[in-house]
Amino acid sequence: MDASTKTRLPLKTIVSIVVIVLCIPVIIGLSLLLPGQGGMYAISAIVIAMVMAPFILAFEGRRPQARELVLIAVMIALAVAGRAAFFMVPQFKPMIALVIIAGVALGAESGFVTGSLSAFISNFIFGQGPWTPWQMFALGLIGFLAGMLFAKGRIPTKRLPLCIFGALSALLIYGLFMDTSSVLLMTNLLSGQSALAIYLAGLPFNAVHAVATVLFLIFLAPFMIEKLERVRMKYGLLGNIQ
Amino acid sequence: MRNLHPAISFGYFAFVILITVVFLHPVMLGISLVSSLLYAIYLNGIKSLRFTLLFLVPMMLLAAIINPLFNHLGNTVLFTVANIQITLESTLYGLATAAMLAAVILWFSCYNKIMTSDKFIYLFGRIIPAISLIISMALRFIPRYIAQIKKISYAQRAIGRDVGSGRIIDRLRSGADVLSIMVTWALENGVDTADSMRSRGYGLKGRSAYSLYQPNSRDKTLAAFSLYLAVLVIAGIALRLVLISYFPLIELNHLSVSALFIYLAFLLLCLFPLLLDGFEELKWRFSRSRI
Repeated sequence: MDASTKTRLPLKTIVSIVVIVLCIPVIIGLSLLLPGQGGMYAISAIVIAMVMAPFILAFEGRRPQARELVLIAVMIALAVAGRAAFFMVPQFKPMIALVIIAGVALGAESGFVTGSLSAFISNFIFGQGPWTPWQMFALGLIGFLAGMLFAKGRIPTKRLPLCIFGALSALLIYGLFMDTSSVLLMTNLLSGQSALAIYLAGLPFNAVHAVATVLFLIFLAPFMIEKLERVRMKYGLLGNIQ
Repeated sequence: MRNLHPAISFGYFAFVILITVVFLHPVMLGISLVSSLLYAIYLNGIKSLRFTLLFLVPMMLLAAIINPLFNHLGNTVLFTVANIQITLESTLYGLATAAMLAAVILWFSCYNKIMTSDKFIYLFGRIIPAISLIISMALRFIPRYIAQIKKISYAQRAIGRDVGSGRIIDRLRSGADVLSIMVTWALENGVDTADSMRSRGYGLKGRSAYSLYQPNSRDKTLAAFSLYLAVLVIAGIALRLVLISYFPLIELNHLSVSALFIYLAFLLLCLFPLLLDGFEELKWRFSRSRI
């Protein structure tokens, strides 16, 4: 997300992004006016969708090249195939690891697109549900942050920092988002106690997910990043790694 | 429902699911739950329902337990356990939430059957063309990768690096090799695809998209009818003809003629896909027997 990509955005895209961002507090405000029955989940899902929209619009607005699109599609297909390959083992999935690799190698914006679309497309196989928007945003955010943090060698793409980031994103981003969506769907209220109960119930699952992410990162990250870098050098593509 | 224009199917599911999530009215929830159950059985069969129940039942139980335990908003205290006041209102609210979860999951199982990925891509292809292209490419890549990984493992086996034999270390190493070859192939193949797209003029001005679905008169009639029912339901809720409030005391509308009318509209709306498909099946059987 350097200055050159931003200036390429057409005015129309910038205006729609600003409008969407301004709408979010209005929606939350309206939800507070509603009587305290129902709706919390629906409103949160709408807000999540509106938070995602600027990322998607910015990506669309700069008219990405065919090569960029195909590379993202390849990473998504690998992530989805990875989720499918481990469908027998609950929570033990390589999705987060692959999304982090995509963010590191292709940049923050492409990382967001890879993450959110991996969630969306894998749900065509495993079933869309009320969890879809949350899953999309959580994975998208992980890819985005990976791209931001590891961009241009801000943090070296060594195993240790990658694994720490992977574990934290499985526990604090993916786990927290998915559990919050369960709290909202099941209780429609944000009470501290019920949230705590669900977070505690989800902790073992999130821990397994974090361990899986770290293991997949240890195994996949070095060679995947190397391969992506090689393809980029061979074909002269742009991205984080120069 | 399958042959309906994707915009109508998408709008239909969005509306029904939204009403079910937002409006926890016992009668409306009952209608939504029964209709979604019937339609899910019609679309997916009894067997897949058992699989859905496997994760649905714990979710419902959790919702039914967690609400009375942690939500003390109600005024009617049923009993007190370990300083926790269990209220009638939050118990009923928990039960309603459990029913809502069941209905939503069942509606989504129908949505998954009707709104296939091609319909979604068609629907959003013009608004978000790049994203839609990524989605359709990624969906195509998945079966292609599975086929390719088979080819690679056969080739590896032919040169004596079988994933299925040897010591565990050897197996892991040959597995990693297969994966490595696979990823390299996927990336290079992807770039080739992209170059091929570019040389065919992807992204140039004046390129249009082929659209598979043209709204016909049947689509328009059905869309108008379901829209009419949806407006009735919204009006009924807005004018408080049907109303439910759980806290602090349960407040439910009386059974009046107008409330009955709204229930009927919602029932018709929820059964709409089933009626449509049932009617078409009957028509098909009838016309077939005459040949």
